[in-house]
Amino acid sequence: MNQTVKRFRYAMKRLAQAVPIVLAIIVINFFLLHLAEGDAAVALAGEAGSATPEYMAQLRQKFGLDKPLPVQLGIYLKNVLVFDLGFSFRHNMPVAELVFDRFMPTLLLMVSTILIAVGFGVLLGLLAASGLNTWRDTFISVFALVTYATPLFWVGLMMIILFALNLGLFPTSGMENFAAFHEGWDRVKDIAHHLVMPTITLSLFYLALYTRLMRSSMLEQAGMDYVTTARAKGLTERRIVFGHILRNALLPVVTMAGVQVGALIGGSVIVESVFAWPGLGMLAFEALFSRDLNLLLGIFLLSALLVIAINLVVDIIYSFLDPRIEVG
Amino acid sequence: MFNIKQKRLGVAVALMAVFSTAALAQKSGGTYVFVLHPEPPSLAPHLSTSGPIGQVAPKVYQGLLDYDEDFNPVPELAESFDVSPDGLTVTFNLQRNVTWHDGRPFTSADVRFSVMDVLKKFHPRGPNSFREVYEIQTPDEHTAIFKLEKAAPYMMKALSSYESPMVPKHLLEGTDIRDNEITNKPVGTGPFKFVEWKKGQYIRLDKNENYWKPGLPRLDRVVARIIPDASTRTAAMENGEVFYGAFDAIQPVDVIRLRDIDGIGVTTKGYASINPMSLIEFNTQKAPFNQAAIRNAVSLVVDRQFMIDNIWYGYGKKAVSALSSRFASAGLHAATGNYPAEPNVAAAVKLLDDAGYAPDDNGVRARAVLDVIPYGEQWRRAGEYLKQALAEVGIALDLRYEDVPTWLNRVYNEYDYQINLNYFYQLPDPVIGVHRHYGTDQIRKGTPFVNGTRYSDAGLDALLASGASEPDAKKRGEIYEQIQNKLDADMPVMNLFEMEFVIVYNEKLKEFTFSGMGPYSSFDRTWLDQ
Repeated sequence: MNQTVKRFRYAMKRLAQAVPIVLAIIVINFFLLHLAEGDAAVALAGEAGSATPEYMAQLRQKFGLDKPLPVQLGIYLKNVLVFDLGFSFRHNMPVAELVFDRFMPTLLLMVSTILIAVGFGVLLGLLAASGLNTWRDTFISVFALVTYATPLFWVGLMMIILFALNLGLFPTSGMENFAAFHEGWDRVKDIAHHLVMPTITLSLFYLALYTRLMRSSMLEQAGMDYVTTARAKGLTERRIVFGHILRNALLPVVTMAGVQVGALIGGSVIVESVFAWPGLGMLAFEALFSRDLNLLLGIFLLSALLVIAINLVVDIIYSFLDPRIEVG
Repeated sequence: MFNIKQKRLGVAVALMAVFSTAALAQKSGGTYVFVLHPEPPSLAPHLSTSGPIGQVAPKVYQGLLDYDEDFNPVPELAESFDVSPDGLTVTFNLQRNVTWHDGRPFTSADVRFSVMDVLKKFHPRGPNSFREVYEIQTPDEHTAIFKLEKAAPYMMKALSSYESPMVPKHLLEGTDIRDNEITNKPVGTGPFKFVEWKKGQYIRLDKNENYWKPGLPRLDRVVARIIPDASTRTAAMENGEVFYGAFDAIQPVDVIRLRDIDGIGVTTKGYASINPMSLIEFNTQKAPFNQAAIRNAVSLVVDRQFMIDNIWYGYGKKAVSALSSRFASAGLHAATGNYPAEPNVAAAVKLLDDAGYAPDDNGVRARAVLDVIPYGEQWRRAGEYLKQALAEVGIALDLRYEDVPTWLNRVYNEYDYQINLNYFYQLPDPVIGVHRHYGTDQIRKGTPFVNGTRYSDAGLDALLASGASEPDAKKRGEIYEQIQNKLDADMPVMNLFEMEFVIVYNEKLKEFTFSGMGPYSSFDRTWLDQ
């Protein structure tokens, strides 16, 4: 059997395994969320600042909150099977529509952050490892430590003060200029302009992680026997570093990146909040406080699917990076 | 301001005088961006009184009346109105040539449908505001006659676009009112048409070219921007990206800084209709606050001015009775005895001694948990202050701070609290805003912001009922004086201070305070100095 067929069969097997996992995630989330006190009707009425008993009863009936819990779970599961994520209580629109609307901005922020964080992290780690114990190594290590230890919201706010208020280079927040409503390429440029500060803020944190990881991974690989062999064969240092060490050193970095994509969806609440970026993290955060359980379940489900998919992709990438690892 | 003599309101002449063509040329156009926090749950003012809805919807929908800063009625969709001497018949003469944004004419049938089939049934406060209305007659397209069981002077103050919006019958009739498409895509008669709502980002409204007021609106577009983080909202204001922020859009600590910046202004005008009052609710069914004496003692000890000056940066006015002094213009306000000019610790100690709250070895007379309204840092500071202040007379408090649904559930459903720090909107009339706090019929388990103290007194219930339906202003004033005295003695709720919300604005923005509804107004006369 050749590699491609093997990989495909492996992927199918993993997907089949994912089904019970997803089901378990839904059921556990459902009961966990119902542990929270107060329901969507209370939250909505609280927001309105006033209510009558009839109004509360109407809301509960409309949301189906008057039914027993197992019945509510049954209805939810039945709907999920036909890809219906239900209706958001607070937003009064289908969950799928809401989540999809927020998914693109999240993806935009996530992908650009991962690219910058992994890209620069690998580069800095490489530079630090290759100049071990020189000023370059020290400088990069201190930089990584400082960015890792600085709270994200503080970095975000300082960037706003410096680059938006004082220098006027970037807009303070948002994803687009809402006074202008650009279209076509102008809109793409406008969004890119708005994307810069949130991406840098979020990247800085992860960048530090990848830098440290890459540095130690490089150093570990550099001491391996195969490197000595390569050197004995008379390969240039350049060839050794890029052709042998780097490839092996990347494995832990890829693992880490895979795990963190899932975390990034949740971890970007702070950045989304500070920069008013309309992503999923903020949506989930608000949904929690308005007890909008359908919406939360929908977001959790999507995140779970995403994590499963990315883990699979990472496993397949392994087999490309290191031919010794076989999928099957 | 309310009287039973025939009252005819002309079209506001002053309003028309402004529209010389020369002025129009300079004052029109532009996109007005304001910051909205939090994001509204829907854009259906007929289904929810949520504040953020109120900042957007009244630019799309309109009410029968608007109000000035003293809450005198100003014509809006009703060009004039007439109240019969017994207060049982109210006739509204509607503006002509008003159309909905989809082109259909606005008629008296819409008024009847809005009140009888929507507001009376689905609005959180509508069933109270229109309690006495049993029929609306529509002899012709431009006349709506409200028939009342009893006189309802308060109803005349609840007809703004925020409180009682007129909604399109032709789009709602025969549908599920709660699930109708206009819940998120409003269609009204107002100066701006709904265009788009990008959740988490903005709501966009464009100029209604067929608006019935000649020459208005002046702005081309209104955009409500949603920014979750308080510091970023401030930065956007400072950077000139947004022109206006109301309620808690800008945190008080930033207000102090922004008001010193050139080009940015701060005003407390525009909140008369909301009439917010900070207060403490006591659980009257649970120790230790089940006796009036200890509740009065708390009121005697708390230094209200200290809280205003040190926690609210001077924005506020000490409460002197159960009713806000903003009701004074209607003759419904009188200072009462347990709201002292200065804190009086000696008197409080004596009250507690006489009532049998003896101090233990540590000087503690009573212990309780103070629940703090989870609406921001200032309330926590206020809770900390109260803990200190009450410790002086031996009332030991622990503070508890939960998220909104948990807190509401605890106070208004489980009644599992002892003393609660909160604020209420007293609204333009006590019947709408204050009665819900005290009446026996307002003890409604599971319903937030009603009588959560479970205070019940037959004498007070009778007074509230007669106050609601008394058409004579002077007699009504006397009834409310008795009500205030009664509530002063029993004090199930202790008012702290009349809150003064601020509006932070960019000085390029002009004429945005023409209505007493403030942030909840139409902004049709507002313009940008470009």
